[in-house]
Amino acid sequence: MAAEKLELLILKTLALGPRHGYGIAQRIEQVSGGVFRVTLGSLYPALQRLERNGLIDAAWKASENNRRARYYRITPAGKRRLVAEQADWERVSAAVMRVLKAT
Amino acid sequence: MLWKLRRRCWELWHGEQLERDAEEELALHLELAAADRVSAGLDAAEARRRARLELGNPDAARDALREGRAGFWVESVGKDAILALRALRSRPAFAAVCTLTVALGVGASTALFAVVDAVVLKPLPLPDPSALVRIYDVNPSKGVERSGVTTGNLADWRRLAPRYRGIAGHYTMGRTLTVGQDSEVVLTAQVTEDFFPLLGVEAALGRTFTSEEARAALYDNAAAPVGPDPVVVLSHDYWQRRFGADPTLVGRTLVLERRPARVVGVMPASFAMPAPDVQLYMPWGFSGDEPRDQHYVSALARLAPGASLLEAEAELRGVANALAREHPRTNEGWTVNVVPLQQDLVGDSGRTLFVLLGAVSLLLLVACANVALLSLARGLERGHEASVRLAIGATQGRLLRQFLMEPLLVSCAGGALGALLAVVGLALLKHFPAGLPRIHEVALDPRALVFAAAASLAAALVSGLPAAWRRTRAQPVSELSGTPTRVAGAGERHRIRDALVIAEVAMAVVLLAGASLLVRSYQRLQAVEPGFDPRGVLVAPIFLDMERYGHDGRSRTYYAGLIERLTALPGVVSAGGATALPASPLGPDFERPVWPEESASDERLRRPAWVRMVTTGYFRTLGMRIEAGRAFDGRDSPDGARTVILSHSLARRLWPDGGALGRRLVVDYSTAGTYPYDVVGVVNDVRFGGPRSEPRYEIYLPHAQRPYLILNVAVRTSEDPRRLAPAVRQVLRELDPGKPAHGIHSLEDLLGATYSRDRHAMLVLSAFACVASVLALLGIHGVLAHRVRERTREIGIRVAIGAERGHVLRWIAGYGLRLMLVGVAVGGALAATSARVVSGLLFGVSPADPAAAALVLLALPLVGLVISLHPAWRATRIDAAVVLRTG
Repeated sequence: MAAEKLELLILKTLALGPRHGYGIAQRIEQVSGGVFRVTLGSLYPALQRLERNGLIDAAWKASENNRRARYYRITPAGKRRLVAEQADWERVSAAVMRVLKAT
Repeated sequence: MLWKLRRRCWELWHGEQLERDAEEELALHLELAAADRVSAGLDAAEARRRARLELGNPDAARDALREGRAGFWVESVGKDAILALRALRSRPAFAAVCTLTVALGVGASTALFAVVDAVVLKPLPLPDPSALVRIYDVNPSKGVERSGVTTGNLADWRRLAPRYRGIAGHYTMGRTLTVGQDSEVVLTAQVTEDFFPLLGVEAALGRTFTSEEARAALYDNAAAPVGPDPVVVLSHDYWQRRFGADPTLVGRTLVLERRPARVVGVMPASFAMPAPDVQLYMPWGFSGDEPRDQHYVSALARLAPGASLLEAEAELRGVANALAREHPRTNEGWTVNVVPLQQDLVGDSGRTLFVLLGAVSLLLLVACANVALLSLARGLERGHEASVRLAIGATQGRLLRQFLMEPLLVSCAGGALGALLAVVGLALLKHFPAGLPRIHEVALDPRALVFAAAASLAAALVSGLPAAWRRTRAQPVSELSGTPTRVAGAGERHRIRDALVIAEVAMAVVLLAGASLLVRSYQRLQAVEPGFDPRGVLVAPIFLDMERYGHDGRSRTYYAGLIERLTALPGVVSAGGATALPASPLGPDFERPVWPEESASDERLRRPAWVRMVTTGYFRTLGMRIEAGRAFDGRDSPDGARTVILSHSLARRLWPDGGALGRRLVVDYSTAGTYPYDVVGVVNDVRFGGPRSEPRYEIYLPHAQRPYLILNVAVRTSEDPRRLAPAVRQVLRELDPGKPAHGIHSLEDLLGATYSRDRHAMLVLSAFACVASVLALLGIHGVLAHRVRERTREIGIRVAIGAERGHVLRWIAGYGLRLMLVGVAVGGALAATSARVVSGLLFGVSPADPAAAALVLLALPLVGLVISLHPAWRATRIDAAVVLRTG
């Protein structure tokens, strides 16, 4: 899956609340009904990029089973980016649908 | 943006920690995924396996994270550098040769670039230099191309030409300065009051001249300052050298031409107008009644803002025409040429320099090609390394970067060393000035350093890319399978190598062609008949002052006595003097209109001729030929009839029927009147400015009848003239300790200086051509030696099955000869197309000169053939048995 799309999905997931890496992957898989399967090699570099660009930030916290986990959280800048990207995506996909549906 | 930078720095700092964190995070992710599958019903081991399968390899993820982290690129480049360093250290000879080669190439080209930059490219170190122009008087109808301007006209120009913000004049001559007991002749420049303001430069110490000082400045006929309060300004260099940069010098009084003159200022170090060797500046004011026909003033002007050069020139020409109508007797036919000052100063040394810069670039390319060849040969021997790396997953891009690191390191070291060499070279250049203008501005400044860096980078790419490219294209399978018997891609490898050698030979041929043309041209220059014999002649310019020698014919007595004493010295054949001597730039040199007395009305026979006053013995001393009549002798005394001797071409022009002898010539001295002279002799033409100059119209008058205070005294000796210099100085001191000569030189040196630029260009280009040829021949040798090494098995087999030694020899040597011939052909074609570039520098030689062409086209292949015999001979010594056994 393209890297930018994954980043968008990650942002959306985090907009609903902070999670650790596995939690993000699970959420995306669940909501997409299994269409998107996130691998280690795609998720974590995407998280690294988002963190570098200041759209999310992360902190070590205790997780459910008392293990240390890195929890990611969306930042205000991330929220703004999400809104913008979402609008963009909706516009593009609507246009594509129109073209496909045209007879 | 700043946030990202800070983030990157933070990542850089905490690199290790982040690495550990990432591992932990990935491990946790896998655990959680496994745990989920366990709760879905799988057993632990299967769950882990499934999780790992679906989520991908954590090591790959970890690597991806590491690459994304800041500092990774720097780290990997650093590792490459260390590897490359180690590889170079294991082959010190190779590294040293490559570094030295690059250093020579970069050093030579940087030094030459610094010279070209300072002389031609950089603007003059003056405010708004593009608005500065030089104004020449020209008179096409009289054949005068570039002449000084007149004081009378200059004053009117200032008034009538608004497109010029100001027009200043200057006149340079030598004057005697006395400090304590020592006298020396210094180069002084008389400058009008607007000279310094026009150029926009203030004094570094003290001040420049005021208008009152300019107006009050008066000079007598011998140029001594006779005004009420003479003042001078010193050049920075003279102030440093002569007075040790004494800060209290301003306000002190010096003795100039036996008169007191007060120092009011010192110019800054960067000020080198009108010429870098001017040591003293003096004010100059015009009176109301200035002559309009003595063209000796050099004029500088600054264009008004917004005025273009063409407009300004047209305007001044209009003014000149108007003045010609107003003052027809003096100004008729005179107009002006206006040229940008920088262009005027640089002259055509620019052309020579650019040719040399092109040549040194070729040399740099040849050097790089040689390094590339060496690297190629070495790379082939390490072909396995690349194959192994490719087999375990390196990308070609990564390999390329790695393999380029070696040539990059070599070029960095070579470039740094080359910059040092350039510094040394430039320092040497300043000590042996090659007759170039603005040479004092040459330095290894930031622009030259940028050039050095660029040259090093180019060297790295040119020398490293062929080998690096070749190595990354190694075929993993076949290389790893052991003995490289059938070398895949062999044809391509040879093509690059051969192409490099051919390119080297071609460039060496181009350089050789250029150098041989310059050599032939220089030989022609030296063979030109100057019209006098400079061998064994010593020249001493002497400047007498008005006060002591200006009356009662004292100068006549002085010089007569001096010449008598000089002739009496041991080893001296004859002595004589002239106000203007060929190849010697000092002394009053001026033109006056002359015509035959009987054809006073014929305009066509009214010509400007250069006037010289000469003593008896002058023509014999210079080795000039009396073609008709006689030289000056005792008959030409002050109370005798006025006599004149003509140069050959002037006599021919004025009396085409050959009857100049016995006729009378009229000379027009403008304000001083016109006088007729009896023609008593004709001498041969002289190339006054050296072999590249054409003979001029000259008339010679007896010094006894017109005793000038300034005289260039020449002495002909039967031995080395330079050894006579101390004796000459002694004679001068005995006659008058306050009258030293302004530099004693041998006439041969002076004549040689007139074409020193040709000599230097020839020497430099020949040096480049030799080095390039040596490098090209080394390249051929290397290629053939490598070929022999490569084909050792094949040669052994051939010998074993019956090939003769001679056949092997011919095979290898023939290969080398083929490469040379192709290179020579390519180089010859290149040289032919670029012939026009060099033709501007040549003298009496066309670019298609057969001798030069023969030298290059025949000599180089012959030498190449000889060189290739060595590896060919080595090939014949291959022991077939040994080769077959070891394989």
